Amino acid sequence: MSQAIEETASAPAAVAQPRAALTRSLIGGLVTSLPVLVVGLLILNFAPTYYTYLALGAFVNLIVVVGLQVFMGNSNIANLGHSAFVGLGAYGVAILSTPLAMKKLSIPHAPFGFATLQLDPVSSALIALIAVGIVAAVSGKVISRLSGVAATIVSLALLIIVHSVFLNWTDLFKGNQAFFGIPKVVGLPWMMVFSVVVIVLARLFKDSRWGLQLRASAQSPQASAALGIDAKKLRLMSWVLSALICGLAGILYAYFAGTISPKLFYFQMIFNTLAMLILGGMATVTGAVTGVIVLSVGLEFIRSIESGVTIAGIQLPQLLGLSGVALGVVIVLCMAFRPSGISGRYELDELLSRFFRRNAK
Amino acid sequence: MLSVEAVSKTFGGVQALRSASLACEAGEILGLIGPNGAGKSTLVNAISGVLKPDTGSVRLGGKEITGHGPEYCARAGVARTFQTIRLFKDLTVRQNVEVAHITCQAVRPEAAARIGVDQLLAQYQLDGFADVPAGTLSYGSQRRLEIARALALGPSLLLLDEPAAGLNEGESETLAVAIEGIRRDVGCATIVIDHDLRFINRLCDRLCVMDQGQVIASGQTEMVWRDPRVIEVYVGQSETS
Repeated sequence: MSQAIEETASAPAAVAQPRAALTRSLIGGLVTSLPVLVVGLLILNFAPTYYTYLALGAFVNLIVVVGLQVFMGNSNIANLGHSAFVGLGAYGVAILSTPLAMKKLSIPHAPFGFATLQLDPVSSALIALIAVGIVAAVSGKVISRLSGVAATIVSLALLIIVHSVFLNWTDLFKGNQAFFGIPKVVGLPWMMVFSVVVIVLARLFKDSRWGLQLRASAQSPQASAALGIDAKKLRLMSWVLSALICGLAGILYAYFAGTISPKLFYFQMIFNTLAMLILGGMATVTGAVTGVIVLSVGLEFIRSIESGVTIAGIQLPQLLGLSGVALGVVIVLCMAFRPSGISGRYELDELLSRFFRRNAK
Repeated sequence: MLSVEAVSKTFGGVQALRSASLACEAGEILGLIGPNGAGKSTLVNAISGVLKPDTGSVRLGGKEITGHGPEYCARAGVARTFQTIRLFKDLTVRQNVEVAHITCQAVRPEAAARIGVDQLLAQYQLDGFADVPAGTLSYGSQRRLEIARALALGPSLLLLDEPAAGLNEGESETLAVAIEGIRRDVGCATIVIDHDLRFINRLCDRLCVMDQGQVIASGQTEMVWRDPRVIEVYVGQSETS
């Protein structure tokens, strides 16, 4: 207990330590995205078109949920506004990249010369992300000053504001009607690439010094302040990163579906993705991935029996709305019996290495 | 190192601090004692930036740190522990210490290079639990972890708010040895608040006694205990008065 502290790690060792941590975190992210890759490849090679389409939707949800985890999992503040950023990303590329002929039909009176502007999909995506970043930085300035319930309510207000703008600024967003004609340039392979990138990014952030300090500040604001941690700055940082990932999800959605409308980016998406994150466990990126896989499969199964099926000669009645009920039940049961979600406190790679170490003994 | 001059603070109608002053040099262990409600914790909060004093000044190494907030004070070199333990319960023991070390690397890189996270864990007998969540440690280990975490900040002033509370005699003796080790190895100024007077007397070079928001006596430990005002506070009204 009382040896001198003088002689410590020499300078090279001190540099090597963070690099080793970075590698571990990177590998961890890749391990976590492995199940996603496997599912994606199976669908890509064997599944009929209908399932490919479903999978694309599930991948969009995956990116949204991972984005949600970046903020919620690290700051421990519930976010009910993230689908606003999904919508902003989607509408951003819709307005920028839709061919002029289509725009003449849909938004002929768009302001700022958008009616006569058509950019390639990549530049459109980058500009849309910048727009999302700006909205996130402004809203994040407010949210990062708050904590707990107040921050959650502000995030909800943001959702309602953005949704109202989509609905009522008809010259630019085409209002309640579907915005169609967006170039369909994204398929399953690109979706998989971005999913992996996003999962690794979320993991790197979580394990970074910012992620660690943010998680600490969420657990004891007083102690983290006494260690010189600027929690506001870190909350803002994770809010913007989370928003950019959600915006990316929106961009990818617009580029694969080709048609979007405001209601896609409203409460239904919030509930779906929140249920996925809670079920999987919001403390880890693995939890986000697990929740999306389990609930996507589960909801699809429920949807298939919703319309009434025949099991062993017995015709079940139609149970419309069953998936909505199931979603609510999942959240309630999870909160009651396993608030930390399926995956709990450990990432997939951490669980694996614990498992192997125990078996090795 | 630390100099607190005429700090006053009023909460509503209650004057928690009345022109309290104290000083603590590098390498010195100062005991801050007094009955409940004397203003010890308020003074610690004023030094660590949690409270902004109404009047008076707090300087660390000549630098004014009064009322700049806890983050600023921590970066300036004030580390503290809490009366009720405040660990990051779901983070591992090592991560608790790392969190502090990250700040140290940012603001005092030379100090950070001298401090090894693993070494701190070993010194405070926590190396066997490095990868378990801090919340699962025993009470005594949690107290040690709080001190290790504070030291990872590379402080020039360490404030220990009732570090021996709830420890048995053996544990508080180990703790006293550890705190003396800090003096020798880190050389920071240390202020210890505690109600365990045997612990305080064994450890402290000087004492500072507070009562009703005022510093009523300060000086060498043996001298302070001869002060009639201190005797009055601790033993009650003496019969001769």
